[in-house]
Amino acid sequence: MNCLLEGNCVKVFGKALHALSRIGDALWLDPTVKGLALRAVNSAHSAYACFLFSPLFFQHYSLGSGSEQGSGSVNCKLLIKSILPLFRCLTSIERNVERCQISVSTPSDRVVVQFFCRHGITKTHNLRFQESEALQAVFASHLCPNVLKAPARLLCDMVMHFPSSQEEITLSVTPLRVSLTNYCEEGKDPMRTMYTEMSLHPDEFDFFQVGVDLDLTFCLKELRGLLSFAESHSLPVSVNFSTAGKPVCFSVEDVVLEASVVLATLMDSESRGPSQPAETLAPVTPR
Amino acid sequence: MPLSTQSQADDEQYVLVASMDNARNLSNILKAITFKDHAIFSATPNGLKVTVEDSKCLQANAFIQAEIFQEFTIKEDLVGFQVNLTVLLDCLSIFGGSTVPGVSTALRMCYKGYGYPLTLFLEEGGVVTVCKINTQEPEEPIDFEFCSNNVTNKVILLSESLKEAFSELDMTSEVLQITMSPSQPYFRLSTFGNSGNAHYDYPKDSEMMELFKCTKTQTNRYKMSLLKPSTKALALSCKVSVRTDIRGFLSLQYLVRNDDGQICFVEYYCCPDEEVEEE
Repeated sequence: MNCLLEGNCVKVFGKALHALSRIGDALWLDPTVKGLALRAVNSAHSAYACFLFSPLFFQHYSLGSGSEQGSGSVNCKLLIKSILPLFRCLTSIERNVERCQISVSTPSDRVVVQFFCRHGITKTHNLRFQESEALQAVFASHLCPNVLKAPARLLCDMVMHFPSSQEEITLSVTPLRVSLTNYCEEGKDPMRTMYTEMSLHPDEFDFFQVGVDLDLTFCLKELRGLLSFAESHSLPVSVNFSTAGKPVCFSVEDVVLEASVVLATLMDSESRGPSQPAETLAPVTPR
Repeated sequence: MPLSTQSQADDEQYVLVASMDNARNLSNILKAITFKDHAIFSATPNGLKVTVEDSKCLQANAFIQAEIFQEFTIKEDLVGFQVNLTVLLDCLSIFGGSTVPGVSTALRMCYKGYGYPLTLFLEEGGVVTVCKINTQEPEEPIDFEFCSNNVTNKVILLSESLKEAFSELDMTSEVLQITMSPSQPYFRLSTFGNSGNAHYDYPKDSEMMELFKCTKTQTNRYKMSLLKPSTKALALSCKVSVRTDIRGFLSLQYLVRNDDGQICFVEYYCCPDEEVEEE
């Protein structure tokens, strides 16, 4: 696989990596004919994210030709901490990087990230990767009966009120109202917890299709990366969900990319046992 | 200025007196070489040289010419002593070290000679503080025997282009490898860390390359832990010259402009880490 990103796209790519780093320690790089997919999953398998950059996003995009050693396209698993530092300072990337070339070299097990910078300076990074099974969560978001769509700005403004240490929040929806409250774990002293609730009228959403009353509790930390990415691109965010206990999917898309974060949700309180773990996503399967 | 009202008689006993209106012009440059506690001070009629060494493999020198000081009086050809650099820097910033425009700490540094402490008179806003720092017998600085005749490769780069590279260096790499060559890649910094390796290439015709004189291809490795402190000197400088000699010894010379626009120099000498086959 060999692709070339120009100017601003390098920054977008970097932002995607930042968002993915909120999910887990490893990054799956999956070049396909549909584009380059970047995926991450957390250790509990309760959060999964995927950023798909279509070939149009790149100045040049090609999968390996048949003459290359090994298979044309390889699924690479990298440690996020080996690639994120390359894109850590986005402002300096914006200032200095003119082009970025990313290629996968099968014979040497390396992902090569090369930055062509101002003043003729070139920075080449050869990162070790492991060949891996593809990572993909089986989740049919288009089959979810309930859908919300809102500008990223609105969702960011909502979650802004919750401290960054807040792990889980509950999204409560009824056909007449949407509210976000912080989720208090059972056993925690209610007198010692700050309780935050914020509500919105369905009119505030670009699209609102909710059939039932529902409480969805999921991990906020893992969502923040996507929201920040969406906000920087002024993209609307779609929220697809069916019932408590089933995953919720937050997604954004534009002409050249699609990104989604799928989070597990807690089962309804009535059916909750004393120490109910978060339900895992449908099994993460190899393709 | 209160410091200058000291009596003539006091001055008679000092073998070295150096005054500066703005102590930051000294402290800033000393910070660029503070990676060890102790420093060797050598004063000659030309000015002051401060040396810091590490494990006999690394030496850093800061040069502050006599002209930089408002007053520089020396009664001998060479005055040398050793002091704790960290303590000296603490004293120089005794008034807080904040950068309020128009306000600066004035310094008068005095030394009576062997066995006497280094006396600092510091004044800011009419308040005078006197610091006496114990001195030790100066050690002989290592002579790296680096001379211009043996220099095989030399480049001068604008610091701006190197600053980013140095701040991004993969610290999990034990060495920093420097390749200099009359042909591609011309000037290359490489690291070999846990995630893989990285190369930073500077072409000879880059606008950042002020001078490029490489006669033969050389690749040398230096311990990262030894060179990392030089990042401070790089941050202060506007230009840096990188030279290697036949043995692979490295000389880094930094041109530093102080608050008043005057020029001082900092240089680092470093031994190569191991033999690398020369192409």
